Amino acid sequence: MEFAWLIPVISFAAAPLAWLAGQRVRGRPFLAGAPAIIAITVGFVLFWVALFGFLNVAPDTSGCRVPEETGSLTCEYQRTWFQAGLPQLGNSVTLDWGVLIDPLSLVMVGLVTFVALIVQVYSLGYMRDEPRIGWYYAVHAFFAGAMLTLVLADNFLLLYVAWELVGISSYLLIGFWHERPAAREAAKKAFIVTRIGDVGMLVGILLLWRETGSFSMSEAFAQARLGSITGGAEGMGEGVALAAALLLFLGAMGKSAQFPFHVWLPDAMEGPTPVSALIHAATMVVAGVYLVARAFPIFEAYDGDALLVVAAVGLATSLLAATIALVSVDLKRILAYSTVSHLGLMMLSLGAFGYTAAVFHLLAHGFAKALLFLSAGNVLHQTELQDVRQMGGLAKVMPLTALLFSVGALSLGGVPVLAGFWSKDEILAALAAGRHPIFLALGLVAALLSALYMARALFVTFFGDLKRENRRVHEAPWVMTGPILLLAVLAVGFGFVSFNWPGEFKGFGTFVFFGHGEGFHFNWGLGIASALLAILGFAFAWLVYLKGVVSAERVRNSFGVLFTAAENKFYFDEAYQWVIDRVVLTVSGFLALFDRAVVNDLGVNGPANSVRRLGVMLRLHVTGHLYSYALAMTLGTIGVALFWWLRST
Amino acid sequence: MVPLVYFQLVSAGLFAIGLYGVLARRSAVLIVMSIELMLNAVNINLIAAAAYLEGTGNFRAFDGQIIAIFVITIAAAEVGLGLAIILRMYRNRSTVNVDEIDLMKW
Repeated sequence: MEFAWLIPVISFAAAPLAWLAGQRVRGRPFLAGAPAIIAITVGFVLFWVALFGFLNVAPDTSGCRVPEETGSLTCEYQRTWFQAGLPQLGNSVTLDWGVLIDPLSLVMVGLVTFVALIVQVYSLGYMRDEPRIGWYYAVHAFFAGAMLTLVLADNFLLLYVAWELVGISSYLLIGFWHERPAAREAAKKAFIVTRIGDVGMLVGILLLWRETGSFSMSEAFAQARLGSITGGAEGMGEGVALAAALLLFLGAMGKSAQFPFHVWLPDAMEGPTPVSALIHAATMVVAGVYLVARAFPIFEAYDGDALLVVAAVGLATSLLAATIALVSVDLKRILAYSTVSHLGLMMLSLGAFGYTAAVFHLLAHGFAKALLFLSAGNVLHQTELQDVRQMGGLAKVMPLTALLFSVGALSLGGVPVLAGFWSKDEILAALAAGRHPIFLALGLVAALLSALYMARALFVTFFGDLKRENRRVHEAPWVMTGPILLLAVLAVGFGFVSFNWPGEFKGFGTFVFFGHGEGFHFNWGLGIASALLAILGFAFAWLVYLKGVVSAERVRNSFGVLFTAAENKFYFDEAYQWVIDRVVLTVSGFLALFDRAVVNDLGVNGPANSVRRLGVMLRLHVTGHLYSYALAMTLGTIGVALFWWLRST
Repeated sequence: MVPLVYFQLVSAGLFAIGLYGVLARRSAVLIVMSIELMLNAVNINLIAAAAYLEGTGNFRAFDGQIIAIFVITIAAAEVGLGLAIILRMYRNRSTVNVDEIDLMKW
């Protein structure tokens, strides 16, 4: 499995090729897309090779072991990256880079390569007429490579590098249509908001480095566990573990758009829709969830105090975003807020020790959300509309897209036997087991809201009366609908991997786990409750938006202030704007004043000015007149003579 | 025999006149002449000392005379050089008044 390092490298290598190919292929997107698509296909094939290799690996294979801190088989392959300092003096730092292969990184590689492949094929249709398609595919390949590096990295430094590469690629893709000011602003916003979290993450990584003396993850995890077991007598202290976990979580909050950093994700909808699908399903936003899952031994150390914060933030994010999604009128923004909400659910699950459930939901949500975004992309591409109020009845003209979208919506809404149902059920079961009942209650509310807004998006867009101006809309071409079909299959059937199967793989719960694996078992009470809630959500939306039995106006009025607040996204953008205008700019003004007055005028120019003024004064004695020099010489000679005479007597 | 101190008084007087000339004169030619005066005052001092202190052990034979001849040689060269500079100065600035020639600053 050592070849796994090839998976990201191939995609990185494809990036310049795609860019070069794009210079020459006006009107033939297949050529520009070919390098990226071939690279990611190779990556996808390698993923399967690695997966089967991993399932059949003997525990005593070199490089592989079962560390106590995670309990699952881990294979690590390292090479020296660079060495700094002087080994003779004993102050050298050696940095390794390598790939870490365990069930978590494997499923992430599978998700990233699969969704990236689907999205890249889809883009052949969606971005067909785009003149800068070479650049598009180049950044796409780079993005995939960065994300794959992130999930395969075996040390925090490499992970951080990949983390930032993911950030810059998303910046480039969100701002792909940089002719539009909104896209530029959105790209900047995404980059800057995530950067705020990244600073915390960097501090956390450096803290771990100071504590353990290396950037190695396994080293940090072992130290955290040792500290946790010995009560801080050895290994990592409680304060350090908690601080490191929270700082890492700050980075995860930025990347995964958790409250209060969620503001960038909806704006990121300014990018092309396939990019949104990629960002929301496979790359970028799930990196935060992945980071928390990856660093779970640190979060979980010392009874997992840090996880309570994770759970609280996740829950707040989930509810907040779900309410906004319920009232948003932009189709892509509904999906974006739905992503934020579901990322919150994943964080909530991690916060309730539901490691397996979170990763499972990450995958199930990834397939469903990619499916939803790409079908929404079909709608946007064919109708050139974004506002759901101008849509309606599109199922009549785009039946296949409508079918695909409903599969995604039902799956994400948690309707039984679709993938989303199983993963959401796992999360609820984890909540019931790991946290206070209030978390479970609010988690159920989030699940209900999830079903409601998905149903609303589905009914308002595809059912009801077809608008006159939309009569001429056609179904999207096969290059766009074909890849989505594959996603739909997974959105329906992915849940079944959690069952107890015969063979090497057995089931998801015994493959990806923390501590000890658990076979599939269904919590009937919770399952029925969540299924009823999902169906209730869809039924209610059906009554409101299709049948009109319950007037949408009355629902709106009965919520009043809450509705207005949600419609305005709870005034987060305004609040941030106020803080930037009033606080940040004021402080910056003072700092600029300090810089000009103290650092520049006093510190830099000050000595220079004094020297010049001194020189102006001193040069007055240089008259240029011969007699003054002669006089000085004479007096000097007399002075020296007097000096010697006095000394000799 | 005239006592040594008379020679020294003459020498000091000549030196003082020369010094005054260097400091107070405006004409470069006169300054050069004053410098010559100072040099010759020193020469008188040296010759007198050589003649009077011969054999006392503090000076060796002909020391004073040798230095005096050396000073005369240097003085000749100095006058040649000094007058040449003054000549060039006059060519350039049509004056040899040192008050007007104040280039030696900043």
